[in-house]
Amino acid sequence: MEQVKSQITKDDITVWVDQYGDELYSWASFKTSSSTTAEDLVQDTFIAAYQAVDKFKGNSNPKTWLFSILKNKIIDHYRKKTKSFLSYESEQEQKGKQFTDSFFDKNEHWSEMPNESLWDDEDHILDDPDFQSTMKKCMDDLPDNWQTAILSKYILEKDSQEICQELEISPSNYWQILHRSKLMLRKCIELNWFTANE
Amino acid sequence: MKKLMNILMLSCKRATELIEKRLVVGLSSGEKIRLKMHMGMCEACQTYEKQSIIMDSAVKKYAEGQNQENVKLSPKRKDKIINSLD
Repeated sequence: MEQVKSQITKDDITVWVDQYGDELYSWASFKTSSSTTAEDLVQDTFIAAYQAVDKFKGNSNPKTWLFSILKNKIIDHYRKKTKSFLSYESEQEQKGKQFTDSFFDKNEHWSEMPNESLWDDEDHILDDPDFQSTMKKCMDDLPDNWQTAILSKYILEKDSQEICQELEISPSNYWQILHRSKLMLRKCIELNWFTANE
Repeated sequence: MKKLMNILMLSCKRATELIEKRLVVGLSSGEKIRLKMHMGMCEACQTYEKQSIIMDSAVKKYAEGQNQENVKLSPKRKDKIINSLD
């Protein structure tokens, strides 16, 4: 096993930037869907690592340590993002709400019956590359914060209750957003996939 | 009787909300009963429930698909990071 010095210097960090920078960046890009954000978070990670070198145990793996710092940076990023969208409702979100409200009549019953037969072939559709591109379009159509909410489970790899804690969002707020996101996704999939493939 | 039914019966909007709520925090026993009653007689919401599960798999697959690119930091950006350490 590689012998790691107990004292970490700037030179060590420089080597780490070279050695692990790409992997950290690649992971952060995936988690944030933004190359600029990912670059900033990776930079913050190395700065934080440099400032906290005392906490780094010489016998632990630098890569694991860096990834754990980055992971916290990503959660911080989503927490800030969530805070800003909770304090302010975007026009995009208002439109999304009106749109999903229109799926129900004044008695809150479906104004249009969901069409079941179209969805029967689920195993098949998930593996279809064309369906994946429809999915991408429909995800892009969601208001930004709804997209973040519905993806957060898979991005942060946590269960719903933990996500609410980490993002400081109330559970009722969270499932209401999921509900609207799914209503909107479902409509979009019906319009763009099933109708186009009939 | 009609009034009682109105209290007991969920609207479709509320029922589908509870379908999502169940996945996040679970339901109270009252909510469970009311959802069960609604689902027993509403085909449209049964359909929604199935579609909701399919959408979960589709979103999961979409999220995983985003991870295929192996992107790299530019050497310039690496230098910038190293310089920021001072």
